[in-house]
Amino acid sequence: MNFVDLAAVTIHDVKNRLAVLANRAEDQGDSATMRGVLEAAATLSRLLALYKADSGGLLSDIEARTPADLLAELAAEFGKQSALHFAVELSAAPNLWFYDENLVKMVLQDALYNALRHARREIRLSAVADGEWLEFSVHDDGPGYPPNMLDQALAIQPISREGTGLGLHLAGRVAALHRNGGREGYVRLSNANGARFSLLLPK
Amino acid sequence: MAIRTPFADKRVLILDDQPDMRSTLRSQVGSLGCENIAVSATVKDSLEQLKTNTFDVILCDFYLAGGTDGQQFLEYLRNRRIIGRDVVFVMITAEKSYESVVTAAECLPDDYLLKPFTADTLKSRLQRLLEKKIRLAKVDQMQNKGNWPEVIAACDEILAAKDRYYVDVLRIKGNALILSGQAAAAIEFYQQALAMRPLPWAKLGLAKAFQQIGDPARSKQTLEQLISEAPKLMVAYDMLGHLHQAAGDNQAALAVLDNACLISPNSLARHRAIATVAEGQGDYSRVEQALGLVIKKTRNSPLRETHDFARLGNALTEMGEPDKAVALLEEARTTFKNDANDPLLASVEAIAQQRAGHPEKANEALQRAMQNDPSKLPEQSVMAIAKACLTIGQQDAAQELLKNLVQSNPDSTELHGRVSTILRDNGAPELAEQLVSESIREIIELNNEAVKRAKAGDLAAAAEMLTDAANRLPGNLQIVANAALALFFDIHANGLDPAKLQAAQAFQQAVLNKAPSYPKLTEMAELTKRIRGKYAPGSRQ
Repeated sequence: MNFVDLAAVTIHDVKNRLAVLANRAEDQGDSATMRGVLEAAATLSRLLALYKADSGGLLSDIEARTPADLLAELAAEFGKQSALHFAVELSAAPNLWFYDENLVKMVLQDALYNALRHARREIRLSAVADGEWLEFSVHDDGPGYPPNMLDQALAIQPISREGTGLGLHLAGRVAALHRNGGREGYVRLSNANGARFSLLLPK
Repeated sequence: MAIRTPFADKRVLILDDQPDMRSTLRSQVGSLGCENIAVSATVKDSLEQLKTNTFDVILCDFYLAGGTDGQQFLEYLRNRRIIGRDVVFVMITAEKSYESVVTAAECLPDDYLLKPFTADTLKSRLQRLLEKKIRLAKVDQMQNKGNWPEVIAACDEILAAKDRYYVDVLRIKGNALILSGQAAAAIEFYQQALAMRPLPWAKLGLAKAFQQIGDPARSKQTLEQLISEAPKLMVAYDMLGHLHQAAGDNQAALAVLDNACLISPNSLARHRAIATVAEGQGDYSRVEQALGLVIKKTRNSPLRETHDFARLGNALTEMGEPDKAVALLEEARTTFKNDANDPLLASVEAIAQQRAGHPEKANEALQRAMQNDPSKLPEQSVMAIAKACLTIGQQDAAQELLKNLVQSNPDSTELHGRVSTILRDNGAPELAEQLVSESIREIIELNNEAVKRAKAGDLAAAAEMLTDAANRLPGNLQIVANAALALFFDIHANGLDPAKLQAAQAFQQAVLNKAPSYPKLTEMAELTKRIRGKYAPGSRQ
């Protein structure tokens, strides 16, 4: 068995145990433990995805999906893990858009865990389509991104030695897997009364 | 008062080999208000549950103990029609690996749930999936019946609404166009879908439609393009392999399938496909290798297939190892008690026993094979029984079987070639050419004779002749269609005989199922109208 297979089996095993723990915490209404356990599981998924991305094995399964479902699911999951208020804005969300729901969910989860650390009262999730692009965004009401992060091109960001930027690196890779009609998905960071993470996917 | 949730009456089956996960899932499902939950740890246990109960939802873990996985389990359930399309099947997995996803559309789970998930997520997913089943109820129902024209009509109704099910329904409609034989319409349909977005399933459908319309070159080209764009789409390799095989290029077929095996080594379907190509090529050591692997992987699993054993037994016999074949086939016969009379298994055993020097056991096996009604058997089984008859020296029985096969498929020169080969290779070379031409001549004469009698006014006699022939040769569309027409004419002229009407309608339906655009169907519909007009109450003469 090679290392990747071994890692996949181990991750499966650990995730099984985390699933049991998360369920126990959910039953007991223990949101702090639940958040810790689910975040740990998300980190494992990200690790495997990053490995695949760098070894050329990260493939996408792009299908027609409903953005409203994904955001409602994320808001419900995170609402249970935190006392913050989660708002979902869907008035400009399309019925259907083409993307890999698992990969996009992984990216948005990562953005949400990041927002949890900085938000004061509220996190806003939105899906907005303008005909050519769908923009998923996670918008917190915290201090915003430091200026040096806003300057960088994010399509493919190198992983720094300190291990920071892992999530953004993966987000860029996932975005780039969404290609159609000569356009490629990308990530945009901006500040607007808080940090705003956006994942843009072409029609 | 207990609160009744929308899930209260839903019956849920959980399959997971991990005790912790089973109880977690059970408590999560229970928290939704479900009262009817069955839990099982093994595929075997789940199959038992499915025998006695029906379920609305199946939650299945992808990793299962005992050499199988959730995908194989789902394929088994769908291919054997153990569950209908109205059942929600959710695959639970720690990682969604792309490989497990790319399978034939009819064998896709309704959804994947990635561990760990909360009870809330489970609830919202199930809610959505059940809503979808309600929206697609008519489509599913017609798909379960195989009534493709109705599937298309039901799809069009949903497509007109342009709701969130639009693309899902496009996929079903394309498949229904292909299955109802409307290849030209399917080509246009898939090209439109591809203009919207280059979806792999649409490209695969396009390749199928090209193949159906008789354009293998464009089908091949489409598949090669698809494989370069989506190298893990295993069904594309299967189809390309088939195309090469049909064109007589077995080498190219094997190369494509070998390549597929490198990418997805665990797929049983691919090893079976390799065995099929190798059988066509007469390369039995290759067959032994491929099926030996399949049997090794499935031997102790309830998902094993009797025909893998039969085909491996045949390969061993052909390789001059009848004793080994006998041992394997006897094991299969005694382990799969329900399949002891399986025509393929029994005829392969008959030949192996004969070659191994046990003529009595060979005869017993042949008797088991002959217990089946050959008009209802697939071609592969009839060929196998005929070969067994020839090996044991029952030439007359073999001739009868092969004659029916030729008469059921009077236009398939490919099949005629194989019939001649079987006769030539199994001790009846003098019959090889003669049987095919004689059989075709006989069925043409029968048809002409019936037409002559009908024209002479003896409609009842014509109808009787054609009815007998159609019952003997349910695969011959021309005979079945003529039987329906003759019966309708007979009824129209000589009075409403309920038994005849029922037979006529059954033949009409059989034609409709096989070839919805068969020209004579219009005439049948016209006659039905006239019969209704003549015998309807109030229009008595």
